[in-house]
Amino acid sequence: MKNLDSVFAAYMAAWAIFFVYYITVARRASALRGDIERLKNSASRGK
Amino acid sequence: MVKNLLAAAAVFLLLGAAAYASFFIAPTDVKQGLIYRILFLHVPSAWTGLTAFFISFVANLLYVWRRQPRWDWLGISAAEVGLAFTTVVLVTGPIWAHPVWGIWWTWSPRLTSTFVLWLLYVSYVLLRTLLEEPDRRALLSALFGIFAFIDVPLVFGSIRWWRDQHPQPVVMGEPGSGLDPIMYKVLFFSWFAMMALMTLLIRQRYRLEAMRSDLETMQHELEAA
Amino acid sequence: MSLLPNTAVLFGKELRTEFRSRELLTTTVVFILIVLFMFSISFRPTSDESRQIGPGLLWLAFLFAASLMLQHSFLSEQHNDTLSALRLSVSDPFAIFFAKLAANTLFLLLTELLLLPIFATMYNVPIVPVFHWLLLVFFLGSLGTAIVGTAFSAISAQARMRELLLPLLMLPLLTPILIVSTEVTKGLFDRAPYLQWEGVGFLAVFDLVFLTALWLFGEYLLEE
Repeated sequence: MKNLDSVFAAYMAAWAIFFVYYITVARRASALRGDIERLKNSASRGK
Repeated sequence: MVKNLLAAAAVFLLLGAAAYASFFIAPTDVKQGLIYRILFLHVPSAWTGLTAFFISFVANLLYVWRRQPRWDWLGISAAEVGLAFTTVVLVTGPIWAHPVWGIWWTWSPRLTSTFVLWLLYVSYVLLRTLLEEPDRRALLSALFGIFAFIDVPLVFGSIRWWRDQHPQPVVMGEPGSGLDPIMYKVLFFSWFAMMALMTLLIRQRYRLEAMRSDLETMQHELEAA
Repeated sequence: MSLLPNTAVLFGKELRTEFRSRELLTTTVVFILIVLFMFSISFRPTSDESRQIGPGLLWLAFLFAASLMLQHSFLSEQHNDTLSALRLSVSDPFAIFFAKLAANTLFLLLTELLLLPIFATMYNVPIVPVFHWLLLVFFLGSLGTAIVGTAFSAISAQARMRELLLPLLMLPLLTPILIVSTEVTKGLFDRAPYLQWEGVGFLAVFDLVFLTALWLFGEYLLEE
């Protein structure tokens, strides 16, 4: 089938874009969760 | 946590079903053969992107009116997700155009309008990074977002008017091209699946923004203490 | 309604401030001249080509110049910390915007009128027979540019990287003006000139829409 590689490329590109975005947000979220934990710990230790 | 996984799984299944329909349920196009099936990715992404930007617009209005942070969080989340979908449109467009017309880019109404839309919302996201104070940032970016969205019909309108003055070859899926009824059904189903993905992504991004705000509040409290 | 008297007073202030030094106008005119010159030596269009691509170049040059020139609108208030004084002096904050955008439209229009004859000479395009129509198109286009640019100047004045930010915010939004103005101007530069009323109508609609938006939301742009 001609152009199968193009269709495939299109689908792969699209899913890659969504996946990369999803992963980026997820990573930032877990980094933030870590920061919040650390802040809570230092606050309770301070008290 | 489990709810999140279930939601993600559901979206994944929907997208899989839409992909299946795009390849096996939608009939073959006589002129373009296999390649036209990119339509089921390209067009629903455009519609979904616009929907996301509309959500951002409403959130912006609500923020200016109510000044509640959650509207600011929704505004940026929807705008970023809209950008992701718009990027997909701009990437799949050339991948489609190249085998069919031998060129990478066409100044078709959809692609041109989408490109301007992309620029507008990139500016929105960039503006936020350049405003430091949270209240200021929320208000001014909301106002820009409102102006940007108001511009959208004007952008589409002006490009269409220009196209009417200079008739261009019709690209598959542009207004004016005919589609088989089954194709329409697959198209709308793909759009439904994309909307589910959009909702998932917006929710995730929203939670990130809410957490950021929590962290900022905690930091301020600690500094005050 | 105190909007018009307030606006008139502020408008007078804007004009007096600029005409005292005239630095904004002169700098903008020279900038556009440079841009037009650079375009003409990089493309070296024939007379027919000039009629085709001239309008686009002209409007591009104006929009770039405007995006630089309009920064000054709220930046000067920022520098001199006069914004709160301004806001106290008027009952309707829209008067501030109205005055500034009227002044900016005037400055842009003056700049364009000064440059049209130079453009016509450099690119061999006759403008005298269609001058009044050109004036109409340039007025509507400048008005739209000034409305958007003045509003966003209030935003960029409060942000970092403001010199780059204003063009970034303004130019994508002004795409409809660029497209339609170029198209209408092209018709006027044609060998058999014609005016596209639909285009003119579209520009008027654009101006009206954003003027309304500015009227509705302007006061929030000026919030402290």
